[in-house]
Parts: sequence; structure tokens; C-alpha cells
Amino acid sequence: MEPTRLLLVSTFLTFLVSSCYGSVLFSSLKSTLIVNASPKPGQVLEAGVDKITVTWGLNQSIPAGVDSTYKTIKVKLCYAPVSQVDRAWRKTVDDLHKDKTCQFNIVARPYNSANKTLQSFEWIVERDVPTATYFIRAYAYDSEGLEVTFGQTTDAKKANNLFVINAITGRHLSLDIASICFSAFSVLALFGFFFIEKRKAKGNQGK
Amino acid sequence: MPDIEGSPGSSMHGVTGREQTFAFSVASPIVPTDTTAKFALPVDSEHKAKVFKIFSLANPHMRTFHLSWISFFTCFVSTFAAAPLVPIIRDNLNLTKADIGNAGVASVSGSILSRLAMGVVCDLLGPRYGCVFLIMLTAPTVFCMSFVSDAGGYIAVRFMIGFSLATFVSCQYWMSTMFNSKIIGLVNGTAAGWGNMGGGATQLIMPLVYDVIRKVGATPFTAWRIAFFVPGCLHVIMGILVLTLGQDLPDGNLSTLQKKGEVRQDKFSKVLWYAVTNYRTWIFVLLYGYSMGVELSTDNVIAEYFYDRFDLKLHTAGIIAASFGMANIVARPFGGYASDFAARYFGMRGRLWVLWILQTLGGGFCIWLGRASSLPIAVLSMILFSVGAQAACGATFGIIPFISRRSLGVISGLTGAGGNFGSGLTQLIFFTSSKYSTATGLSLMGLMIVCCTLPVTLVYFPQWGGMFFPPSRDSVKSTEEFYYASEWNEDERQKGLHSNSIKFAENSRSERGRRVASAPTPTNATPTHV
Repeated sequence: MEPTRLLLVSTFLTFLVSSCYGSVLFSSLKSTLIVNASPKPGQVLEAGVDKITVTWGLNQSIPAGVDSTYKTIKVKLCYAPVSQVDRAWRKTVDDLHKDKTCQFNIVARPYNSANKTLQSFEWIVERDVPTATYFIRAYAYDSEGLEVTFGQTTDAKKANNLFVINAITGRHLSLDIASICFSAFSVLALFGFFFIEKRKAKGNQGK
Repeated sequence: MPDIEGSPGSSMHGVTGREQTFAFSVASPIVPTDTTAKFALPVDSEHKAKVFKIFSLANPHMRTFHLSWISFFTCFVSTFAAAPLVPIIRDNLNLTKADIGNAGVASVSGSILSRLAMGVVCDLLGPRYGCVFLIMLTAPTVFCMSFVSDAGGYIAVRFMIGFSLATFVSCQYWMSTMFNSKIIGLVNGTAAGWGNMGGGATQLIMPLVYDVIRKVGATPFTAWRIAFFVPGCLHVIMGILVLTLGQDLPDGNLSTLQKKGEVRQDKFSKVLWYAVTNYRTWIFVLLYGYSMGVELSTDNVIAEYFYDRFDLKLHTAGIIAASFGMANIVARPFGGYASDFAARYFGMRGRLWVLWILQTLGGGFCIWLGRASSLPIAVLSMILFSVGAQAACGATFGIIPFISRRSLGVISGLTGAGGNFGSGLTQLIFFTSSKYSTATGLSLMGLMIVCCTLPVTLVYFPQWGGMFFPPSRDSVKSTEEFYYASEWNEDERQKGLHSNSIKFAENSRSERGRRVASAPTPTNATPTHV
């Protein structure tokens, strides 16, 4: 099974037109990071207003030396399965190069294995985050930029400890008013010209 | 054949059978020039232009041409303006694939009815006001995008903006009041092709405008709404230009239109009957649904497809998507030209073969596009698909004028509506459900194109033949006169109402291809009796 899968993966990779040298499968990664986030399960946050505090660090029960390849940690906001239904642009794919589960970067920090304390970061939810259900995942990258491990706030099935973010509408009162004004101008200009021309035509006929 | 005055074929002396349906100008002996008229271009007795000078702005003929195609172009820009921005809109409005697909269907469905209504409006108010009313009354619907906050609103607004595609009808109608019927084919084909380019141009314009607005500081979910003000303002500007610079007829404005009786001399019910009972009409309605229809569907899905499948930036996906629609500038006229070229040698049979080949090739390239997993191959197959489909549109309208003389308007209208219907259908089947990925949807659409082009093999004209069968040997049925006169009943023929059809039948003898043999020219130049 393993050699076949390896053959399939490498054949697939040769068709990729991209500048990556190789790609990592999510199923091959083991979770060695602990990630916690401030939103409680089911909490609703407002984009542009509310903050999320993320803390992450190495799982202390991991034997020493495993983290020698970790160079950078990137923490990302990821879609929960319920928000991926009927939306192929958010699909989870095992090949991490093609995976679209985690589309928003929260923070990136270099990794220092000597520092045993938990790192934390406070993030204001950005205004281009869509309305959906989320969890948070952190990846550790090696010096070549490939994922080597991860940690997330939810379980393996991505079923618990999820929270919701409500997006901004993108609408503004000034925009609405401008829209109404332009529309009114269009309609009035049309009927104005029409009636002026009709009156001119009548005037010419009368002469 | 004895050269008796008035013998059959003698009226065709000098005609070689090689005159094109599409020609840039009409020579003087064929259509006499009115030398008393003072226009920039040579005109016929109705003051319609006999020459098509593309780069001139001469009032009124060429100015009408440019105002007309640019108005149609503007409506295409606004109808498909949402397509390249869908990656942003779908996040703002929390759309599912079904919502996006339904909005695409809605955007092309509105114009099925509005195109039919526009014909009536043009008759009542004239093409100039028809165009202006439509373009300025749909401007508010474009501005309405700033209010949309969910899937339902999005679908409704795209439906309403789609009404504006009826400017196609006013465009073609207006052109036919300004240009002689011998060159109207090329004029209308060019105007339609250049108007369709709007579907491509919008894929360039909208991401560009969106990027600029973002750089100025707006957030994505506001920037796309502001971007819609650009097509909206274009509507208003074009409406005002047409109102102030345009005129209905070469000699002035509307009121003379009805007096001349250009409107409804014929009974609408009869015209409709002969259109609907001619089986060829329905074959071409189906075919156009799979050349124009798939072009419109692809305009709606292609930018999002490239963005998602190849991880491109929004404006890169837009540039690639634009090249699909922009190919119209040459592809559609090329299709018409190829049809004419084949007709020179093989007549109508050549036209049918050219149409079948172009449209089937287009379908084949569409299948390839869905299967392509590398970017360069995908772009290549997309461009080849666009040329095939758009050339097929041009070739279709090389044949339509010959299906019927009496019901040409209705048949053209039905065909146009068929295009939109085909677009709605393909989007509904292939691009709305999550059962297929967009890539699979494209391949299946290509397969459907190939299958739905097969009915063209069933088209048969007794006087010219079909793809596989030669013309009829029956001496009565194999004449053009019999075919076109059969659209009039005995009463009407007695009254001589069918005289235009007979004239058209004579001129259409060129569709026999090389078999046209004119009667030998008489040896003495002067007629036997004066």
C-alpha cells in the first residue's frame, strides 16, 4: 500500500507547475504542538471588532530532539467541515500544497526549542474573514518551508471546540446613498430628455 | 439557351454567383446610388449606407454603428461584471456553489424575455429609444449591487442586470435602418461580435478596478461593491450619448418610420407561424444554444475556475478569462467569412459543413479544457475553444438569413433567445451542483456541445441540399422561388405580397455554389424591343 501511494503521489507531483520541490501529506504529520485559543465553543465573534488570543507551544511529553527541525511556526484560521459543504474552494485535501482548509494567517514566529514557555498572540479578526465556523491550527515548518508537524484547537474529526465568526456586511450608508443618487439621475435624465424631445417634436409639428 | 428577352436566367446576366453574403460594400449596378443625397457615405434610395467604413465616425451611419455596438458592449460588461469578482463575493455573501450557479443562470435568463419584448419596443418607439430606455433603466439595477447582502439578493440583482442584454435586438434593428441589406450581414456580425467582447473585457476591467479601489484603502467586501459603480456609470454615459448623438433614421428621427410602412406590413401571426413550423428554425435554436450559449456560460465560470484550480491571483485569472471573450473581435467575423468562403464553392452545403466542423471542434477543445491540469495547456485549449464556439456563432448567422425570408426577424429573435436558454441550461446542469467539479463540468459541457451539434446534419434545403444529401431533382421543388414562395398562401401570392421573397430567391441562387450557371449573355447588346 505504501509504495503504491508513494508512486501515485510522486506521479501527481510531476504534473504540478509550481516552484515547490516537494509536497507534504497532512496524514503523514503527527501532532506535537499544543494550541489553545480564547473563543469558547460556539462563541460568535464579530470581524473587525473582536479579538482572539492564541497560545501555542511544544507538547512537553514529546521526547527531546524531535523539534530539532522546526524553524518557523505559522498559526492559521481554518474552516470547520460544516463551512466546507458545497464550497469546493475551501476543500480539505491531503496534499498540503493543494489544501484549502486554512486560508487566513494569524501570526508567524520563528521557533526556539530552548524556550519552553507557551507563546501567545492577540489578533483582531480581520475584516475580510467570511461568515463561517472555524478552528485554529498551527504548523511548524522546517528550513525548506515544508510542514513537519501541527497542532490544533479541535479534535482529529474537527467536531468540537469550534467557534463562529460573523463577517462585516461590506455595506456602507454612503455607498447606499450614492447608489440611490446615481440611479435617480439615470431615470430622471432619461424621462427628462424624452419629454423635452416630445415637446420639441410637437412644437415643430405645430409650426 | 436562346437569348430571348426575359428568358429564364437572363436577369442573372453578369452575376457570377460569387457575391458574398458578407461584403464591405455594394457595387453600384447592383444597388443604385442616390446621388442627390448629401451623406459622407454613398447611400441607396432609402438613404441606407452602401459602404461599411469601420473606422469612420460619419454621421449618421457610422456614428450609429459605433454608438450601437458600444451600448451593447456596455451591457455585456455589466451582465458579466460579477463573474471575475465571484471569489470575493462568495465570501462576503456566504454563497454556496448552488447559489453561484443559480446566479449565473439568472444572469442569462432575464434577457430571453426582454429580447422578445425589445422587438416590439423598437417597433413602437424606434431603436434609439429602445436602446436608451433599456440601458438607462437597467443602470439602477447595476448600482443595486451595493445593497446586496445575501444569496437571494445577489441572484435577483444579476437577473435584473441580465435584462440589458436585449440591447442586442435594438443594435441589430438600428443597423438595419442604416445599412443596405446587401452588407447588413457583415455590419450586424461585426456589431454582435464586438458587443460580445464585453464579456471578455469585463474580466479585465473589474479585477483592475477592484485592485485600484483596494489600494486606495477599502476592505475587500466594500471594494467589490464600489467597483460596480463603473459599469453603472458606463450605462448612464452611453445612454446620454445615444440620446444626444444618435438618430433613428438616416434622414432624422422616428416619426417617418411608421409612415413608410417599414413596420408590420405583414401579419405577425403569419410571420410567427412560418417561423415556428419550419423545422430548421428549431435546429438552429438548439445549435445556437451550444455556441453562443456555452460562450455565455464560460464567461460566467472561467475566471473563478482558473482562480481556484491553478491558484492564481484575481487579476491574473481575470486576464486569462478575458482572452476568452476578447477572441470575439476576430473569431466571430472569421466564422462568417469561413461560411461565405465555403459557400462560394459548395453553396449552402459548404456553409452547413463549416458550421458543423467549427462547432464540433469547439466542443472537442472544451472537453480538453476540462481535462487540462497544467496552466499552459488549459489556456491553449481555452483559446481554441473560444475560437471554435465564437466562429460557430458567426457561421450560424451566415445560414439564418436563408431559412426564411418572410420570418427572418422572428427566427433571428428565437435563435438569440435559444442562445440564452442554452446558457442557462448548461450552467444549471453542469455548474450548479456540487456533484461535479467545475473541471468535470467543462468536459461534460464539451461533450454536450458535440452531441447537440449533430442535428445540423438533418438540415435539408430542397434547392441546395443538406450535409449528406444533394439537392432535390424535382424540377419544381428544387428552385429557390418554390421554397421562398411557399411561405405565402394563394391569396397573398395573387396580391403580389410575396414579391420581395421572389427577389430574394433570385439573389440566393449563389447558395448553389459552383453549380450556378447564368444564361449566356446575348450577342447583341441592345434589347430586341425598346
